[in-house]
Amino acid sequence: MPHIDIRNVVKRFETADGGVHAFGPATFTVERGEFVSLVGPSGCGKSTLLLMIAGLLPPSAGEIDVDGRPVLATRTDVGIMFQDNTLVPWRSVRRNIELQLELRGINPKTCRERIDGLLETVGLTDFANRAPFELSGGMQQRAAFCQAMVHDPDTVLLDEPLGKLDAMTRERIRADLQRLWLKTRTTVLLVTHSIEEAVQLSTKVCIITPRPGRLDSVVDIDLPWPRDLTVKRSAAFAGYVSQISDVFHRYGEI
Amino acid sequence: MRRVNQLGRAAAFPLFFAGLLLAWEVSIGLFHVPAYILPRPSEIALSARADYPLLLRYTFITGTETVLGYAVAIVVALPLGLAIAFSGLLRRTVYPTLVSLEMIPKIAFAPIFISWLGFGLLPKVIIVFLVCFFPIVLNAVAGFVSLSEELTRFTRATGAGTWRAFFKVRLPAALPQVFVGFKYAAMNASVGATIAEFIGSDQGLGFYIQIATGNMRPDLAFAAIFLLALLGLSMFGLVTLAERVLIPWDISQRRIRGKN
Repeated sequence: MPHIDIRNVVKRFETADGGVHAFGPATFTVERGEFVSLVGPSGCGKSTLLLMIAGLLPPSAGEIDVDGRPVLATRTDVGIMFQDNTLVPWRSVRRNIELQLELRGINPKTCRERIDGLLETVGLTDFANRAPFELSGGMQQRAAFCQAMVHDPDTVLLDEPLGKLDAMTRERIRADLQRLWLKTRTTVLLVTHSIEEAVQLSTKVCIITPRPGRLDSVVDIDLPWPRDLTVKRSAAFAGYVSQISDVFHRYGEI
Repeated sequence: MRRVNQLGRAAAFPLFFAGLLLAWEVSIGLFHVPAYILPRPSEIALSARADYPLLLRYTFITGTETVLGYAVAIVVALPLGLAIAFSGLLRRTVYPTLVSLEMIPKIAFAPIFISWLGFGLLPKVIIVFLVCFFPIVLNAVAGFVSLSEELTRFTRATGAGTWRAFFKVRLPAALPQVFVGFKYAAMNASVGATIAEFIGSDQGLGFYIQIATGNMRPDLAFAAIFLLALLGLSMFGLVTLAERVLIPWDISQRRIRGKN
């Protein structure tokens, strides 16, 4: 049984003048421990799909099953991260990570080691007591990542978490992300419009067409780990990138 | 060097204000303005000292009206703002009513309240209450409903109950906007008290200004005006202090303190 099973999922938003077809249909599965990227142009509904998987938005048609059970309400076993992070300004980095636990009724004192470990993995140990606004954009996203991971979620949903960062910072955080995933092997769904990012990080890439977004195809990425600079310079890597680019080219997107 | 710099910064406002008073003092003599039109600050100070027992008593009376009206406004407006933010029914009924009422200058009610309730404390407190109530309730609603989509989703995905989500996320996130209402109301509270006293009273600084003006004593009227300014400033100062203590993390506080 797949971890996440998405069947003919469609999302429409009803409006006064009839309604907007936001996404779908899409059918694919995610196995436990996979890193799956949803790649598509802006406005194709890939974030909408992520929200439906989190149970934050009900699909208009089709089914989403997690471990064989349909998603009918907001899932609380996920870790979510958005382009605009969810760090609150009145708490330090550490206290922001603890917020995830406190909201779940978990005493953060019992998770001190786990928080320290996460902070160390992303290189924020020395910034634990700083306020979010004292950190750079890249450091904020690292902190938000710890916040999304601290409760050991079943699935991690990343909605363009690196979208607002500069190219170099993005590159570094991708490496961090990969290291963390290789260590934990948590199931990750990443929404991105960077084809390279998707190929570098994913076990499989779902190609979403321009508006209204449908699932065009799924590409399995068979490259060695860790995918460092050597791998990124390989012919196989370039092959995957151009294979996916060709699809968007066909839609007149690039 | 750093300490000198800080001292200089702290002294900037008192020095500038003293300069203004000095300019006033000097230009009255320079342009031969008669005292019954515009007195000098020094004359105002002397007259105020001569009449200080009454001025002090009236300051206390106007101050009581202002603080009471303001306090009652907070006590009523904050829970109501919360209720409106969290109830769709209230948002469709009470909220548009409040917005419509907000368009009325609240002072327009003053003569009516005074005709109903007489010259005492109560009608003034009610006027101050009305002046303060609307900015507080409207800003509270705005604060409580405007949680970012990301934080709303994040909080929902933790499965936190309404109260826990409220105290840990919604309330602190709303505080900066709530304080906008508190501050605006604090600035306008004494306006309500003063005008209410103009319309019907036998004590208070507003009453005092009318009598002084009638007696061709602008020096005494200005003395009362300074006391009103002082009253408003202390109110505003206290609210700003509370803001600094409660939300030191807010962007407005950060900018004022020159951080970031």
